[in-house]
Order: sequence, then C-alpha cells, then structure tokens
Amino acid sequence: MPSRQARKTVVVSAPTLMKQRKNPDMTSMSDIHREGIVFNIQKYSLHDGEGIRTIIFLKGCSMLCVWCSNPESQEVLPQLGYNPAKCLTVNECRRCRDICPENALTAGNDGIISVDMALCTNCLKCTDACPIHALNTYGYVITVEEILNQVQEDSLFYSRSGGGMTLSGGEPLFQGQFAICLLREARKQYIDTCIETCGNIAWSVLDEAADYLNYIYYDIKLMDSEMHRKITGFDNTLIKKNFSRLIKHHPDLPITVRTPIIPGFNDTEQEIDKIIDFIKGDSDVKYELLAYHRMGTPKYKYLGRDYSLGNLRELSQERFTELSAFAKSRMNQ
Amino acid sequence: MNCCLSPQEQLLDNSANGIENPSRSQEGHVRAFKILDRVQNLTPKVDVQRGRLFTESMRKTQGEPLVLRWAEAMMHIAKNINVYIDDDQLLAGRAGIQGRYGILYPELDGDFLDIAVQQLGMREVSPFIIDPEDADVIINDIAPFWKGKTFHENLAQSLPADTLKLTYDPNDEMLSRYIVNETASFRSSLQWVHDYEKVLKIGFKGIRKIAQDKLDRLDPFSPVDNCEKKPFLTAVTIICDAVVLWARRHSEAAKEMAARETDSERKKELELISEICAVVPENPATNFREAMQSQWFTQMFSRIEQKTGTIISNGRMDQYLYPFYKADIEAGIITEDQTIELFECMWVGMAQFIDLYLSPTGGAFNEGYAHWEAVTVGGQTTDGRDASNDLTYLILRSKREFPLHYPDLAARLHARAPMRYLYEIAETIKEGSGFPKLINDEEVIPLHLAKGATFEEIYDYAVSGCAEIRMPNRDTYTSGCAYINYATALEMTLYNGRMLLHEDEIIGLETGNPIEFTEWEDFWTAYLRQQLNLIKHAFIQQHIIINMRYKHFATPFGSAMHDLCMKNCVDLHKPNIDGGIDLGYFECIGYGTVVDSLAAIKKMVFEEKKLTMQELIDTLKVNFKGKMDIQALLKSAPCYGNNDQYADSLAKLIDKTSQDFTRQYAKELGVHLDLRLVPFTSHVPFGKVVSATPNGRLAYTPLADGSSASHGADTNGPTAVLMSNFNTKNYNYREHAARLLNIKLTPDCVEGEQGTKKLVSFIKTLIDLKLWHIQFNIINKDTLLAAQKEPDKYRNLIVRIAGYSAYFCDLSIDLQNDLIARTGHANI
Repeated sequence: MPSRQARKTVVVSAPTLMKQRKNPDMTSMSDIHREGIVFNIQKYSLHDGEGIRTIIFLKGCSMLCVWCSNPESQEVLPQLGYNPAKCLTVNECRRCRDICPENALTAGNDGIISVDMALCTNCLKCTDACPIHALNTYGYVITVEEILNQVQEDSLFYSRSGGGMTLSGGEPLFQGQFAICLLREARKQYIDTCIETCGNIAWSVLDEAADYLNYIYYDIKLMDSEMHRKITGFDNTLIKKNFSRLIKHHPDLPITVRTPIIPGFNDTEQEIDKIIDFIKGDSDVKYELLAYHRMGTPKYKYLGRDYSLGNLRELSQERFTELSAFAKSRMNQ
Repeated sequence: MNCCLSPQEQLLDNSANGIENPSRSQEGHVRAFKILDRVQNLTPKVDVQRGRLFTESMRKTQGEPLVLRWAEAMMHIAKNINVYIDDDQLLAGRAGIQGRYGILYPELDGDFLDIAVQQLGMREVSPFIIDPEDADVIINDIAPFWKGKTFHENLAQSLPADTLKLTYDPNDEMLSRYIVNETASFRSSLQWVHDYEKVLKIGFKGIRKIAQDKLDRLDPFSPVDNCEKKPFLTAVTIICDAVVLWARRHSEAAKEMAARETDSERKKELELISEICAVVPENPATNFREAMQSQWFTQMFSRIEQKTGTIISNGRMDQYLYPFYKADIEAGIITEDQTIELFECMWVGMAQFIDLYLSPTGGAFNEGYAHWEAVTVGGQTTDGRDASNDLTYLILRSKREFPLHYPDLAARLHARAPMRYLYEIAETIKEGSGFPKLINDEEVIPLHLAKGATFEEIYDYAVSGCAEIRMPNRDTYTSGCAYINYATALEMTLYNGRMLLHEDEIIGLETGNPIEFTEWEDFWTAYLRQQLNLIKHAFIQQHIIINMRYKHFATPFGSAMHDLCMKNCVDLHKPNIDGGIDLGYFECIGYGTVVDSLAAIKKMVFEEKKLTMQELIDTLKVNFKGKMDIQALLKSAPCYGNNDQYADSLAKLIDKTSQDFTRQYAKELGVHLDLRLVPFTSHVPFGKVVSATPNGRLAYTPLADGSSASHGADTNGPTAVLMSNFNTKNYNYREHAARLLNIKLTPDCVEGEQGTKKLVSFIKTLIDLKLWHIQFNIINKDTLLAAQKEPDKYRNLIVRIAGYSAYFCDLSIDLQNDLIARTGHANI
C-alpha cells in the first residue's frame, strides 16, 4: 500500500495564487518557478486529446483503483522501482552493492540483485548508482518552467495538428496548485491544455484548473457508490457532485467522460447505461470507453507490490467493440 | 488489447488463412497479379548476352573514340540480343531472359568476373543462378578481354599510397577497407533521371535529327569538331538508330507471336503491341499507351547501355504522362482501370530486372536486390503551383492495391500541397510497405537555387535514386562519390591513428595517446583532425576519379536526351560540362554512432569523470565483456535523436566542420561535393570494420544509418527525432546534400481516420522543418520477429531500409536484426 502520510505532506499550497486568481499576468513569476513531482513526460502522444500532444504524468493520486496501470503514480513522493530483468548481475556490475545503508540489496545465486522492500527506506541512493536503471526512481522534482520548455520543443507539431499539453497521472490535480500554475502558464504561452482527471478532488481545485483548460477527460468508473469504494478506495459522491458542478460552472469547457471497462466490474450494458443516464443531459458531453489492459502489471512487481487483479483477462476485442457500439448508440454519438 | 495489424500485415495474415487479397480479382490488377505470381519467387538468373555482345563489339573497335565505340556496341546489342514478349504483358522490352534476371557490365568491374562466377550461386545474400555454359562464356569470352582494362584496376593503380590504404586493402585491391570507400567502380554513373518527356514529344527520330543537323553544320576544318563533336554526334545518331531497331525487333516478334496465337483476345493484344513498337520510341507518342511503351523502351535500353547507380530513375511520371492520359480519358479511349493496368505491367517488368553487383563491395552496398528506380509524383509546376493531378492519385492507388515494392515511389512535398494529396500519401504509407518516401521541396528548392539552379529547373526536379534529386537537363555530374566512415575517425582518435581490426598498422593520423588528454577540447581536436584527414583523402580520391572515368565510360544514349550534352556535343561522363551544375557529395556514415560516442566521452570521461579514458579504452578493447555496467553507463549519456542539445550541438558541429572543408576545396574540383547522409544499406558493412564504440555499440555491428538515430537510442519518440534532425543542420550553409531519415511506427500510431490525420500533421511539420527526406516503416516488431523465424510465411513482407523497400526475407540476418533493433514508436 502506498503511504497515506506522504500524500498529506506533499500537497503544495500557494495562498498568493489563490488571491490572484483570474488575474494570471500578476502571477507568472511565481508560476514558472513552482515545483512539483512528475514521473514521466511523453511526447508524440496520439490518444490523449486532439492532435499530437505531450503528456505530463504527475505523481500522486486521490484514488487507489485496483486495476491501475500506473501504480508508480499513486504515491506522490519519488520512490524506488526495481526491474530485476534489467539487472546486469554482480558478475558484470557491483555498483549498487555497498551503497544501500539498510543492506536491503542482496545478490541471488544467479547474480541478480534483489531488493528487500521491507528494509528499504526509499533513500534512492542505489538508483543513482545503477547504470542501467534496473534500480530506478519513479518521480522527480521539476519546475513549471522546465516542463514547459520541454512542452514547447514540439510546438510546431501542435500548430500543425491542433495538439498541446495533456496533464495525466496519477490524478494530475492531486498536486493541485502545481497543476494550476502549470496550466495557467501554458495558456499564457498559447499552449492548448487538456487534463485527464478522476474527479475525486476538491471542487475549488478543479474549478480553478478548469479556467485554464481547453479540454477535459473526466473518468466515471461506476455509478454504484459502495462498489466504487471497494474497487477504487473511495465512494463516488464527490466525483458525481464535481461533474455536475463542472457542467454548470464551465458550460463552455468541452468534456469527454471516460469509463475504463474492467472485466467483472463494469463490463455490462447495465453499468454503462447507468453512467450514461447520469451524464447525458442538456450539455453536449461526449462519452467513450477505454479497454482494460495489463500493460502496467510489471510495474507492480518493480514496486514490490502484488497486482490484486491477478491474472484477470483482457476483454475480447469483439466484446469491447460491442460495448462501445452500445455506448455510442445510447449517446447518439 | 489486441494490437492492430497494418494492412500489409493483414494481407499476409489473410493469405496464411486462405483469404485472398481482394485486389487480385479487380479489373485493373488481374493481369499484373498473374504475371507477378509467375515470377516473384524465382531466384534471379544471370543473363550473359549483354556482357558478351558488348565485349564482342568493344574488342573490334579498339582505338576509336570511346563514345562511338559505345554506340556501336549498343547497335551490336540491339541487332543481336534476344527480344521477348512476355505472356500476358502489354509492354514489350526486357534486357535479358524471362523471369528475374541480372545482366553483366564487364567494363565496370570485370576483374571480379571469375571470382563472381564462382561465388554468385553460393552467396548467402542476394544469390544468382548461373548456367554452367554461361559461366564458360564469362570465363573464356568476356573476362580475359577486360583484365587490366577495367576502371577498378586503373583506379587502384592511380591512388596515392596514403589514399589507397584508406580505400582498399593494400595487399588485395579487390577488398574494400570501408574507411574512405569509393563507389565509382561498381556503377557506371551516379543515380540518374532521363528527360523522358523529350522522348515522348519528339521521339528518337527528333533527337537524331538534331544530331544530324549539327553534324551537317560542323566546321570541317576544326580540330575540335573533328575529334570531339563529330564522334559524339555520330554516336548519337547510331544510338538513336539502335534503340529504334531494337524496338522494331519487338514489333516483329509480336507480329509472329500474334500469327501463332490461338486465343483471340491475346492475338489482338499482340497485334496492338506490334503496331505500337513499330511507332515508338522512334516517333512522338500520340496516346497514353504509346507513351508508356516509349518510356519503357527508353529506360530498358538505358539499363542495357550502362549500370546507372541504383537503376535509372523514372522521373515525374504523373507530369510528363498526364497530357496523354488527359486526352485519352476525355476522348474515351482509355479507362482508369486500363491506366492502372498499364502502370502495373510496367511495375512487374521492373520487378524482374535485378541490379546485379559482382564485387563484394557493390553487393554489400545494395543488399536484398536493392533498387531505387524512383517514380516521382506530386510537387510543383515550373511556375511554382501545385502539380498533383488525376494521374498522381492513380499511381498512389496502384501502390496501395498492388503490393509490390517496385517501383520505388517518391512523393514530393511542399507547403501548399492540397489536403487530398497529403491524406492519400498518408493512406498509402499506412499500407505498411513504406511507400511513398517523401522529399521536401521546401528544403530542396532554396538549396538548389543557392547552388545555381533557376526556379524553372528546380521546381521541375525529379527524385533520383535513394534520396537525391535531379534536374535532367541541368545536372551534369555522374561520378560515383566517396563514402566516409566517420566512426573510423573516432576509432583512430581512441587508438592514435590505428584501428583494432588492423592492429599496429597506422591508418589515420597519430593524434596522440588519448590517455594523456586532460581536457575534452584535446579529444575533440584530435577527433576533428582524424575526420578532416578522411575528408581530405575522399577529395583526393574523387579528383582522380573525375579525371579518369570519362576514359572508361561513355553514355551516348543518356547524352542524347540531355540538352547540355547535345548543345556542347559532349558525352555526359566528361567532367565540367559547360552550363551544367555538378551535384556530387561525400557521404558521412555512422553519424549517430559518432555523435553518441563523443557525447558519452565528453560527459562521462571529461565532465562527470565517472570513468577514466584508460578504463574506457580497456572496456572497448574487450568489447564490453565483463564490463556491461560501463556499457550501460555510456549508453545513459545524451544521444542524438532525442532533441537533446547536449548531443545535437556536437552533431551540428560535425555537420559544420564537414561542410567547411567542401566550402574551401570543392571549387578546385568544380563540383558541389557536399555532405550527404544517405547510406543505402552500407551502414552494415561499414560497421563490420569498426570495433566497439563509446556509445555502447558492440564491435563490428551496424552503425547508425543516414541521419537516423543509433539503434534504440531515440527514446523520446518521433517528434524528437525530427527536431534533432533540424537542430543539427547548418541552414546557413549550402554545402550539404540529401539527408535520409527513417522512422518506424507501429500500426496503432496511424490507426483509423484519426491516425491518418495525425500522420498528415506530422508530415506537415516535417515540411515546416525543411527536412530533406523521410520514410516511414509501419510495422510491428512482433511481425519482424515472426518473419525471421518463419521466412516462408512472410516471403512477401515488405520492409523499409534506408531509402528503399525490400522483401524482409531477402535480407541478411544482420540487416534483419538491424531493423528489429530500430525503435518502434508504440504509443500505449
């Protein structure tokens, strides 16, 4: 389990920003120097918004979905990930051996290092030593300015494709003020902005972020509150409430609701029907399904965690197409 | 999620499951599929006729002016070579026996003939079949005449010792060293494009008349007119007669076949073929069908005349054929399907002519029966308007529906290209065979204006060969150019002028023991001296080649179609033709490898001091054995292809210092000998002489190709690859030529309408960035691995390698691995 304590301590607050809300020009100096924690910046992203985009993966999440494909995003602080398949073995490399102050690293008979996660204090010294990044740090501190410099590198591609920057995570608004500063500064630089949120976040944060967004992907996983709690760690009261507020207060912000289809949890017409009943109102909200995939499962191992869905099989292509078609027809899309 | 398949993979999958390609039964394609099915899996055979007849004639004409001898040899061939009309074909004309075939050019590297005859059938890569009787002809009739006379032997004798040891093994000149490699001895000419439009408009009768008029007006007292112009113009008249004679023999053959034919449909077809071959290429074409036959005769006769590097290109087919197509379609005498059928008859004809390389070097440069007979579509008109037309779209459609890697299709890009054009290009690329390759007007046009072209000429350029361009009536340079292995400059810096492969032999400059270097600047300076030394010898080599080639090669046929040759009455292979622009190059091989290695040394040894130079050299000498941690450390340094200024700034300096040399010395040669980054498949053999490099590359494995990133080093995705390419170009210089860039995408990157749209916007950005060339390879790594395991199932799997497509299973294991190693940019 990720540390709950870490989560509380790292949320960045910025009273000055709050005061100067809706007056972005006054805040640019502090915006660009603000620091946050990111675990990946991925260019040439094609499936997370309009055009060719750069996705910023922010660390930290406000939920704990059992199927999460980015488990390294859940904790907000930088943390150790270890992929033994990459280890060069002690025959080739001994760089991490004497570095661990807790003696958590030991070599097996095959020469491959193993990490005793129970002893590990996450000091991350070993990740500096490992030349092949078998021992790897998920997450690093970075400023708004540094992120946007990287984002701007592809600005020509955005101008041709209608792309821009997408914030993802984790829950990108979990580092609320950092995300807001990033979005505000991006808009100041005329970068198209988009966010992928689970909606389980304080309304004030979401409300303010929405001011600087060109597009929003809003996840609604399940309508049943109890079941929602069971599989994500939280009930969906706030998510539903925020969705309604978003429609009301930001009527011009284009929104696509997404549902990850998890076999055995919500892969039925009935579940999808309930979600559509909830979101389909007067506004022209769009809706799409995401297929469950197992691409993220190795990362659980790297984190020393178990993947609680075990060997859950991916939905067949046919069934997914069927559900997508159902959703489409219900939405009249 | 199930990963999607590219259409090409889908076709293979279907065919494995017994589902037929739906195109097969479509009207326009039936004929071409039928011909293709007969020939596509045949091992190519050597046809000795061209080599034998050429030699016979040359034996008789010794002492005459070369251009005249060449024309007479061609006449001898035209009279005596077997002519064929293939079953089901609508176009007549081949340069050799039926099936897949290669022909011999003994004048080129005939000194390899006897070795080649022994080895050809056993070659692991690109083998050829040779009949024992034909082998006897080669050994007894052809080879002896050329011994001591070939260009290759003459060159080896003429190079200064210092240049020779970088070119050939000084003990065996048959063996290339792959350091400063000459490419003039395995082809008679650089890649080239003829002015086919001229042939269609005035026919060889018209060209012959121009030559005859000039002959009639020669000054009978002028020594130059007598010794130079007269033989040239006479040669032109002979060659015009030769091609007409050759065409007429096809007309007669078709007539005889028609008389014997029992199938009434085919009988009619043969009669029509006979009629057409009696008319073209002698006369101007009067309709589309004649224009196609005239063009085909022209290029096939050109293939017989000489070995043009990468095979003679086809020029702007959608432009010069369009008036014929338009008139015919308006008059209702041709349909779209019939047009496609004719194109595909030509494509399957091309597919049967295999570019046979005798020398091991030539073979290594052109693996997998390589060919770049570029057909150009799109681009701009001579007054700078978009040039796309209905024929452009028919050619693209044919490429999508008829899965063949002939011809090498090239599409020109420009800033005002219409959306339909860009979308159809993207859709064609998505088919997965890698076509078309894209060449960018926004880079090519201003650059060649700076090199002296007029607007009209450069707006009308045609893609030629792998990634180059030609202005068919303005370009005048045909000498094969040097390929410089930049990675050896790096190796010589590490070992004080030596290479591990050659042990103690001093090959480059002794720039000092790098262990004594205390600053990065010391290493960098030493590297630049080694690089400069190689370029210096490349220029020396080229100087000698330029002044030797015209004594060995003539091209009366090519010259007859060239305005400037006709104006000056001089063969195209003569150096410095008045009014011409000589566009040559020198090739940088291993760009990404060198940049990444330098970045690793700078960062790890000199800046962060994570290892010493001694440790680095010890590690490289043992090829990282037991030192995989150091290899990993070196690999973690900044790499070219990631839009990382640390690496890109070094790359830009290498580009600049190379161009500085040519800026200073190319004038002496009278040639734009400009920096080029286009490797064919040669980054594989060039890699085989380079020991382990500081970018973590293992000894004797392939180098980075063209201006692409090192294998797997481009981890930031394709946008970063493009940006790095942009970052490293010196746009204030004109001393650069083509840059080749390969990008491999997995099919999910381009899936559906959204995928097409995003591919189009990616291409639009490439245009903005003024990058010269790009080609996409849309494929799954799994497909490649599966093809390696079960080649029989994937025989028709087409892949993109360095500017052309080949059947994956025709490639060596090395090159297959090389392809697999290139990063597939999946987007998950």
